[in-house]
Amino acid sequence: MPVTSSSVRFRTGNQMIAEGAIQAGCRFFAGYPITPATGIFKAMIDLLPRQGGVALSAPDEISAVAYCIGASMRGLKAMTATSGPGWALMIESVQYALMTEMPLVVAIVQRLGPSTGGATQGGQGDILLAEFATSGGYTIPMLCPTTAQECYELTILAFTWAELYRTPVILLSDKETGMTAERIEDDLLPDVTAQHRPTSGRFHELSESLRGMKRGTYHFDFPQEIPGFFPVGGDRRVTATGSAHDKQGKLQKNSPETIEVLRHLEEKIRWREDDFAVTDGDLQPSAKTLVISYGVTSRSAKDAVKLARKKGHNVSFLGVLSLFPIPQKKIAEALEGVETVIVAEENLRGLYRSMVETLCRGKKVIGVNKIGSMITPLEIYAAILRKNSEQGTQTLLLNGKTTTN
Amino acid sequence: MPEEAAIKPPQQVPINSYLVDNPRFPFCKGCGHGHVIRHLNEALVALQIPSKDVALVTDIGCIGLADGLFREIHTVHTTHGRSTAFATGLVLADSILADRRLKTIVLIGDGGAMIGLQHLVHAAMLNVDVTVLICNNFVYGMTGGQGSGLTPECFVTATTPNGNIVPPADICEILKHSSASFVARAIAADRSLPELLAHAISFPGFAAVEILELCTEFAVPSNALTGDKLKEIARSNNWEIGTIVERRDRESFAQRYQASQRSGEESKKESTAGPGFPRHRVLRRPTSIVLAGSAGERVQSSAALFCQVALEHGLFATQKNDNPVTQGTGFSISELWLSPTPIGYTGIEEPDFIIVTSEDGLRELSNQRWFDSMGNRTRVLIDDSLAVPFESPRIERKPLRSTFGPRMSVLGGLVCLAERHQLVTAESLLDAIRSRYGEQSADQIVKGLKRVQEFTG
Repeated sequence: MPVTSSSVRFRTGNQMIAEGAIQAGCRFFAGYPITPATGIFKAMIDLLPRQGGVALSAPDEISAVAYCIGASMRGLKAMTATSGPGWALMIESVQYALMTEMPLVVAIVQRLGPSTGGATQGGQGDILLAEFATSGGYTIPMLCPTTAQECYELTILAFTWAELYRTPVILLSDKETGMTAERIEDDLLPDVTAQHRPTSGRFHELSESLRGMKRGTYHFDFPQEIPGFFPVGGDRRVTATGSAHDKQGKLQKNSPETIEVLRHLEEKIRWREDDFAVTDGDLQPSAKTLVISYGVTSRSAKDAVKLARKKGHNVSFLGVLSLFPIPQKKIAEALEGVETVIVAEENLRGLYRSMVETLCRGKKVIGVNKIGSMITPLEIYAAILRKNSEQGTQTLLLNGKTTTN
Repeated sequence: MPEEAAIKPPQQVPINSYLVDNPRFPFCKGCGHGHVIRHLNEALVALQIPSKDVALVTDIGCIGLADGLFREIHTVHTTHGRSTAFATGLVLADSILADRRLKTIVLIGDGGAMIGLQHLVHAAMLNVDVTVLICNNFVYGMTGGQGSGLTPECFVTATTPNGNIVPPADICEILKHSSASFVARAIAADRSLPELLAHAISFPGFAAVEILELCTEFAVPSNALTGDKLKEIARSNNWEIGTIVERRDRESFAQRYQASQRSGEESKKESTAGPGFPRHRVLRRPTSIVLAGSAGERVQSSAALFCQVALEHGLFATQKNDNPVTQGTGFSISELWLSPTPIGYTGIEEPDFIIVTSEDGLRELSNQRWFDSMGNRTRVLIDDSLAVPFESPRIERKPLRSTFGPRMSVLGGLVCLAERHQLVTAESLLDAIRSRYGEQSADQIVKGLKRVQEFTG
């Protein structure tokens, strides 16, 4: 295959998140250094000004994300990047972005936790801390890349979702995906950009009777509708608030309209659940075993499935790229005819497994879990082989040792 | 759109008030916040700023209820202490990426100023065009009159029933020493406050005004507080009243940012690999390499250069780095995969090749038990100055450092490997070395190769 040096590059996932953001039209980035996410910050400092954007250092993660939300209020696509400890500080403001329906992309490059944990060690332990960051557990759309190329693609998609649905979107990466360099072929990168937030409600122009009505900052006619965006500083008045509010953005205490607005925050995402579903399925019709994984562990899971098939086993694989909202239909399709589900992820308790399990009634669900280093293909392969043995419902791999409960 | 057409240009009809008609203030009787809102309104009326050019960003607490009192201007009600940070982002975007139309005003209490101190300090340092009104009534009013970081000593509050024993922070001094361009202090009921506020708002750059106020519900009854006593408190704490800092010698962050980007423009070049030359794929099966040396000796950058050459051969490659958390010292390790097919799992169970160039690298490889994972096909190239971990025909000692020098020894080792095991062509690797590190470095490797190959330890 003839290749020229300009079209093939050696890039880390972090660099490709930055490139994806720029391709998506991101104009504002505020960051705070933290391993293993610093590569995104550095790449944005280097690349964004040349695209006419602003990238700057904030004095902490709270300021970083707040600056981004402020820029988004002015109408600009904005992103920040952090790791687990920084995310803990950002949660307050991400709740604010969700409540004020402000488009925002946050890349979380996971490392080993809890607390400061291991700065240079990988992990997949932040998934539920990130998803359930709001009081009430409102769905925050979450994308999870497994390769440097997917870092690029899913960053663009994250911006599209943030903009179209006026919501914070989490890009859940991890140390290995973020800091490992690999082959990028420019010709294979999609030549698309992210959409821009709609500036008026979808039904705004349709209804004669609505013309001339005073429309609020958070106006919608149907709970699933995305309120039209207007920038602070535009010609139309904005009344934004993170407190419980009516459609005008007026602070209210328990008025029916306020509750309607809160329901709408969840409804606008849930109603579009199928639109959010992105999976990497490799299903075999006769397979009785399904391996589900995401992020860096998907790579090992794919290798394990390949190995198992080579040895004559029928095994299906489902890589989940859009972790939330949970792609229920895609998972249900993959579960057809399956008796055993193996969920592989680099955390101790099987965090995503606990989410998927509810969809697997009547099936045996096995976890392959480990902390401290990547799960290897052989460890997942071992779980595939053990699937028929009656003993054990959960495989915990601690310090490389396998224990079966 | 109809309602937009209804907005009259301000220069045609003067704005008499920015407040809603017959505003019903949500504050207790006599509360200083009422004065602040009225005086802020008077300041805006004096300035006649078009309503849509004003963004009022409010914090949590009683003063945060103010956004509901204004009409037509943009209001942003935020989280506790963070109002200044949200405003900073808004202004950065407006002043650098949009049309610089906004006058942004933050309303924050003494509690908010303390929990969000970092944001005030950074806004002052950046010199963003934000006017922050710190409404200091010495207590958290909304939650029942607890003491804050700005509560004077001996002050009786819900949380200091025997009098406050902690001295208050002087917020104006903190901001002054954070390079703030404009800092002033006033008393809420002062008749000159509207003028001061108008001055602060029109000031180009960061402006903070601390406004001392009465909280009639909590602070007044417990401390026999009066307007006059506010002045006394200010005096006894050495809190200067009036303008404390006014300097116009500082450019805003937006100005400096744009200037620095312009000056940096020429020096920026995207680093790319050398010129293209005919490539032929050499490698037939996935191959893993572990490189171990010391920080500062180009382990990771050599690995990246090597991988780039592999990519140009049409191969797939991954590079995973490891180093101590303090990046500039100790070991430096790169784990590489080269493969004719896409690479899944990037970890290495049993390396094909290990190159060790320094003591730091050797020690860490032992710590990480890499030598335990050696398989039958693992080949180790180790600098001859180092003690071999164990005797084995699979471990070769070679004079890498003394031949190639510490900073080229990894690349030298890789050229040896490339040549002997056909990973990539040695010529293309040398070409890449030539274009990255110069003719001399490449020649040094070419000359050294023979010496290394002939060395028998």
